[in-house]
Amino acid sequence: MSDRIGVYVCECGPNIADKVDIKRILTEISDLNEPPEKIIIAKKHKLLCSKEGQDFLAGEIIENELTHLVIAACSPRDHDITFMNVCKRTDLNPYLYKLVNIREHCAWIIPDKDEATEKAIQYIRAGISRVTYQSPLTEKELDSIPDVLVIGAGIAGIEASLSLAGEKRKVYLVEKTSSIGGNVTRFEKILPHQGTNLDIIQEKIKTVQENENIKVFTETEVEKAIGFFGNFEITLKNIQDEEQKKEFKVGAIVVATGFNLFNPEKIPRYGYGKIEDIYTSMEIEESNSKTGKILLKSGKPPKSAALIHCVGREEKGYCSRVCCNYMFKIAQYLKEKTPAIKITEFYQDLCLPNKADQEFYVDTKNKGVDFICFKDIAVKQKDKDKFIEYTKMDGKKEKISAEMIILAPAIEPAVGSKDIAELLNISLDETGFFQEAHQKLNPIATSIDGVFIVGSAQNPKNIPDSMMDAQAVGGKILTQLIPGVKLVPEVIISEISDAFCTGCQTCLSVCSYGAIYFDEDRNISVVNEAICRGCGNCVASCPSGAAHAKHFTSLQIYQEVLEAIR
Amino acid sequence: MNNSDILIIGAGVAGIEASLLLADTGKKVYLVEKASLIGGNVIKYEDVFSNLECSTCMIAPKQQEVLQSENIELLTLSTIEKVQGEIGDFTVTINKKARYVSLVDCIGCGMCYEPCPVSLKNEFEQNLSEKKAIYVPCPGSLPNVPAIDPEHCLQLNGKKTCNACVEACAFGAINLSDKDEKIEIKVGAIIVASGFDIIDPAGFPQYGYGKHPNVYTAMEAERLYASNGPTEGEITLRKGDAPPKSIAIIQCVGREQQGYCSSVCCMYSLKLAHYLKHKLPDAKIYNFHSDWCMPGKHYQKFHRDVKEEGVNFIYSPVDKIKVEGNDKSLLIEYFNGKNEKEKLSADMVILSLAMIQGKDTASLSKLLGIEQDTKGFFMNQSIQLGSVDTSKPGIFLAGCAEGPKDIQGSITQAEAAVGKVMSYFQ
Repeated sequence: MSDRIGVYVCECGPNIADKVDIKRILTEISDLNEPPEKIIIAKKHKLLCSKEGQDFLAGEIIENELTHLVIAACSPRDHDITFMNVCKRTDLNPYLYKLVNIREHCAWIIPDKDEATEKAIQYIRAGISRVTYQSPLTEKELDSIPDVLVIGAGIAGIEASLSLAGEKRKVYLVEKTSSIGGNVTRFEKILPHQGTNLDIIQEKIKTVQENENIKVFTETEVEKAIGFFGNFEITLKNIQDEEQKKEFKVGAIVVATGFNLFNPEKIPRYGYGKIEDIYTSMEIEESNSKTGKILLKSGKPPKSAALIHCVGREEKGYCSRVCCNYMFKIAQYLKEKTPAIKITEFYQDLCLPNKADQEFYVDTKNKGVDFICFKDIAVKQKDKDKFIEYTKMDGKKEKISAEMIILAPAIEPAVGSKDIAELLNISLDETGFFQEAHQKLNPIATSIDGVFIVGSAQNPKNIPDSMMDAQAVGGKILTQLIPGVKLVPEVIISEISDAFCTGCQTCLSVCSYGAIYFDEDRNISVVNEAICRGCGNCVASCPSGAAHAKHFTSLQIYQEVLEAIR
Repeated sequence: MNNSDILIIGAGVAGIEASLLLADTGKKVYLVEKASLIGGNVIKYEDVFSNLECSTCMIAPKQQEVLQSENIELLTLSTIEKVQGEIGDFTVTINKKARYVSLVDCIGCGMCYEPCPVSLKNEFEQNLSEKKAIYVPCPGSLPNVPAIDPEHCLQLNGKKTCNACVEACAFGAINLSDKDEKIEIKVGAIIVASGFDIIDPAGFPQYGYGKHPNVYTAMEAERLYASNGPTEGEITLRKGDAPPKSIAIIQCVGREQQGYCSSVCCMYSLKLAHYLKHKLPDAKIYNFHSDWCMPGKHYQKFHRDVKEEGVNFIYSPVDKIKVEGNDKSLLIEYFNGKNEKEKLSADMVILSLAMIQGKDTASLSKLLGIEQDTKGFFMNQSIQLGSVDTSKPGIFLAGCAEGPKDIQGSITQAEAAVGKVMSYFQ
């Protein structure tokens, strides 16, 4: 059958009509007619994007039995989707259409009408040339599983599980330790209003345990996770008994692996581990929550305490965001227990980003806590006394003694983050935390569709922000993975030719989405159509020309360029 | 009665994110925006911190998606007039102002602006440029369809017979007899994403804003740098022929008065310093700061990078800074880290002002029957655990309506609000 190509030039009111010679365009394009192989029908319309224009196009496609459609009008940013939808109304495959931009690229920028017209003709010829090499593409539909795997049963993982679990959606909550609750269960109170922590957290833990749609696995790790959004095959293994495995399928995975604390022994000037009565904030939290007391090694309550912020901040290269606030909280613990205690907080910058933080700081200060901004700081010991030697912002060196010293170590990515990243094929960024799909617009998603990161796995976070992430993952998954609704993967993707692939695996190393796997038996790379997003990395890097991007094949681009530069 | 349609108030980045997620599930979303365009404040920025990605390039595809979504009914120039009912069954009356230009027929060619004889201050451009009575606030506005200001249009305010824009329009898209409408809708849940405002610099005469022409707000500086802004990205002064040779950025203006840190000013001030270094490599840039608030994992690196670009950071309490001077030159009096008084002259001063609750917060809180917190923002129900819940079931918060946030925080909260809505209607 011969190609029947319809070329429709939009006047866009005076926007195109006044600036290019449409009559000449139509004449010259009609001259490209080469029946019977290639029949070209060229017409104009006053406004193709209008409802009337769209109806006109649909009528033309049907009446002229068009096999290909070229529209010369505005930017694809404006109306590509509009005209693809017109194709869908008829039987014309929308990938057999091409929009040529003669408004922004010609009419609006070239003052000389003849010049603009010539360029427009050239572009339209390029469009015609390209469209005949385009292939029809069809959308596929994939079944999806609504269930979700949540890795890590800290506060973020617990809240995520609660946001997700429902009658039609099971949640598998996996925790490597023997109990759920995470770091939060080690605190006595929660910021900033000093409410008792345990009730709220215990309540959440209880709700998770009682929820019949949430299956909790403690002392368990994920051994395998293979698949794509809507369909991941998961294998869990029991840490104590590696033979004890569990296999199931889920549609999405939530990583809520939390954080670890920087080890202050790595910076000797803080004296941690060498000098008596120097503690990390977490040690104080635990002592307080277990015994209700904060005591010196001698068993006596301290008469003076120095709280040092920002331990490891410079070394890690980021501010851990939560330390300032929890150090105020610890100061308040101490003040409550021993009102006469002298407390000095040493800080570099007070980071108080939440709307109630500053009030909490002022409240702490008003309770008689001193604040000193330091440039340098070190802990020294002389006989039995401990000193903090510090340089203030004005350059003055001073020292004070303190019976107890409490350090706020930086928040680090959880131990094992690297293994999880490898397992799920997601990335860590230069700080070691999981990398988000987009820093601004997609902070809880990753480069792998269906794999999400919440809480301190993504960035050091306080409880409200971790909870917010956990609820946000509800927003993402509940809207994208609806029970009974099929998923439609990307249509414009890459494909690798069996015949040309030499098995060098270059493509595997450049694919950001983990969409390519290597078939050992056949010694070739294979694209997983459900995962590929059509970025073209593999196409550009394939040394043997085996990888092609559908709808952007070398041949299509070559034929388009050939006419454009003729 | 369980209506699963959703009302979203505010089409900034949070409202857009929430609308798109919900619309994707097939739910009907009413997105109500008081301005003539969508995108909120994010579209005013040239780049975003700290990755310096082009802001409009980042957000424009999302705006387009809103305009093209079949499930989103976008109501611009619209405000909420009345809200009745409860979760699952709200009845909302919307006051939709006439645009006078058809969203369907207009193609955004812009031929109507030139013939309009009226010139007005353009608030979107922080009054740094003018617009006509028929206008889009800036190039690239979406929807790319102008609106007519009925108070200043000569025909509409009855001062004169004028038909200039109607005659210039080749598409018959302008209808001067368009009328304001009241629309009643029924929805099951409401997400409030009404955003923030910036504290009025008039309250801080010591920094000279309004008195000395070359004192600017950070938002004005953003628009000066913006390639689609009033100067197309050229850094010019209100008074003076040459670009500034020295610029001082003063952070934390209004923080003490508001009683909270706005959490984003450090980062956007660093970004402004970077902008200025980029445009004016020989200019001296000073940044007067107190504590750095850099709560993101990439932020400290950005701070270091900007410092390495040659920006001078001066630690100085903002409450002791004074800006004096005249039209030509400004003199900044401040106390340095050693608490010694010093002086520095600059051609331009930029104030990083506190973020405050949106202008409509009080009236919206009454209409919706939800509480405000002591700072004036909408109150979330659990400051300890973090929450998008308001005091009324079925009404949720997203973005800076709840408190100062960066884009990332606004997006996350919008997704959390959607999570709550979905859980309810699941």
